[in-house]
Amino acid sequence: MTRTRAASPRGFVTIGRAVAIPVARVSVVVAIVTVVLIVAAAVATLSLGRLGVPVTDLPRALTGGADGAQAFVLGRLRGPRLVVAVGTGAALGLSGALFQTVTRNPLGSPDVIGLAAGAGAGAAVVALYLPGVLPVPVGALAGAAAAMALVYVSTGTGFRNPGRLIVAGIGVFSIATAFTQYVVYAVERDKAAVLTAYVNGSLAARSWSHAVTIWAVLLVVVPLVALIAGRLEIGEMGDELAGVLGAGPRSTWAWAVTLSIVLSAGAVSVAGPIAFIALTAPQIAKRVTGRPGPHLTPSALVGALLLVLADLAAQQSPLPVNLPVGIYTLALGGAYLGHLLIREWRKGRL
Amino acid sequence: MSTGSLSRPREAAAKRAGLARRLSFLLLALVVLALAILASVAFGSHPTSLSQVFAVLNGTADPDIAVVVESRYPRTALGLLAGLCLAVAGTLMQGVTRNPLADPGLLGITAGASAGIVTATAFLGASGQWAAVWWALAGALAAGVLVHVIGTAGSAGGLVRLVLAGAVVSAVLGAYVQAVALSKPQVFDSYRYWVVGALGGRDFDVFVSVLPPAVAGLVVAVLLSSGLNTLALGDESAAALGANPAVMRSGGLLAAVLLSTAATAAVGPIAFVGLAVPHMVRALVGVDFRVQIAFSAVIGPALLLLADVVGRLVLRPQELMVGVVTAFIGAPALLLAVRRMKGAS
Repeated sequence: MTRTRAASPRGFVTIGRAVAIPVARVSVVVAIVTVVLIVAAAVATLSLGRLGVPVTDLPRALTGGADGAQAFVLGRLRGPRLVVAVGTGAALGLSGALFQTVTRNPLGSPDVIGLAAGAGAGAAVVALYLPGVLPVPVGALAGAAAAMALVYVSTGTGFRNPGRLIVAGIGVFSIATAFTQYVVYAVERDKAAVLTAYVNGSLAARSWSHAVTIWAVLLVVVPLVALIAGRLEIGEMGDELAGVLGAGPRSTWAWAVTLSIVLSAGAVSVAGPIAFIALTAPQIAKRVTGRPGPHLTPSALVGALLLVLADLAAQQSPLPVNLPVGIYTLALGGAYLGHLLIREWRKGRL
Repeated sequence: MSTGSLSRPREAAAKRAGLARRLSFLLLALVVLALAILASVAFGSHPTSLSQVFAVLNGTADPDIAVVVESRYPRTALGLLAGLCLAVAGTLMQGVTRNPLADPGLLGITAGASAGIVTATAFLGASGQWAAVWWALAGALAAGVLVHVIGTAGSAGGLVRLVLAGAVVSAVLGAYVQAVALSKPQVFDSYRYWVVGALGGRDFDVFVSVLPPAVAGLVVAVLLSSGLNTLALGDESAAALGANPAVMRSGGLLAAVLLSTAATAAVGPIAFVGLAVPHMVRALVGVDFRVQIAFSAVIGPALLLLADVVGRLVLRPQELMVGVVTAFIGAPALLLAVRRMKGAS
């Protein structure tokens, strides 16, 4: 631990000897700008549309001066949905950043390798087959862990070979999605809307209990992530160097993977397997900050921003039917991934 | 199979033994297919016994039972055709791209065909199955080209790039198809199951309308099969043996697109049949494309029909769509194939 500190005395915020959180000036600026954007998107979410609370009324309404209709919109409809969106987006972004750091691969992301789909299958089983027996997050956690184990075993080389990781992930994703479809059809029969919420992820009709769940997960996991952040940064320099510097890669990786699974499972249990936020947020954070490193905080903030924006689009879209937010992130994230692939391949980096 | 060191009589004997082996496998596969067809006619939400089914086939059955059993004919025919098309398309794609992970579903072609059909139905007022087939063909071609462009951008594309490009294109097109289908429920009521891939709820018109692309694709596949064998030796050897690699390759892919389009227009986007069947066939009878295509044409329909029967039985009286069942069967095949992938991407 002391060697860790000695290796990079500047650019770290230290708390005692155990915690050394890497902080760069660019990251601070990016973080502030992202937070401002999140607030702007949040204000838009609360005030746009037929049921929106006008911007001029917002400060009064939020400080307890809301009348009946506004109180209903803020307290029941859009308030909890917004809080869930921010927490879920942050959890997904952080989960993606952790996992991409471990796999050293932008595509080694929880949503690409089927982890989120596995969590969705676990959540569907617990919510539909065993309602009230187990809490949904437990099912999501079990599903995510099972998916991860299946990927790990079927590659035969752990997470080391990116090609195998991705193809195995596609297989696990397909199995998990088929399983979710099976469960939803078996229990809910013919409800297309229920199915799409479990397969694509949705933020419709979220309550404060969802918000409490995801923020509780963040409250527990974020301090633990802070504990390993410094060692993850050193791990970026390569296994050997990290070993020399006393940041044993194995235990750090195990911690990072575990925390990533927990975050992913938490996000899925409140919103379903929302696609591509975990993949895109760290990539955007990396490009905006323009620095190497795990980009943990920027990824979390960008993830929150992306999900709030996607949900804003989902709520205010001119379509006659409100589509689940997962369909928007699937379309936009997929397009971004395609763009990313072409860029990386042109440069021969992947 | 045979090496130059074998003397001629022994080589001939080995060939005969190989032929006998293949014939016995073919016989076995045909028996399985016949059983699958029988099961597809016999099992369903309304239980019917085998004797009742044979009575219907003889024309001596109670009319009520006859209606039940005959209602299963169209889906059996569709399953036969779609299974054949998907398996042969997968064989062609794996052969032409020399990529053991190629599959019309994984490479985004079935997603393109669905997007074409959904677009035509929702926005262009296309009605009738014939129009849908043309739009499916256009969508499948566009998606195939897009996947190829993304997957081979920059330096020579590897196995994984193409699969990844296919996954990305499938994801985006799948989101589009779902968005359209969900926002126009009145238009897509009958397509709800089709979006996932299902044999039920469609009639013989559908079967007839997808015959032209299916037959065309199959004819091209058979014509190309010996040329594909030379292509497997490498481009230079193929050229030396008188085949034009570029023509073979584009012809093979075109046939694969035609076949996948026929299957998708008939029963919706079904992944993994085109992936798993060629692997099974190669394990049974080796790499000769003429044999591979023949066996795929038998094993593919058998697999799809059996998957459909399973889907009808697990949630009785409801049905599980065949696309969900094939994912359960085919995705493990993909996981097994991963272990045999060589090196990094």
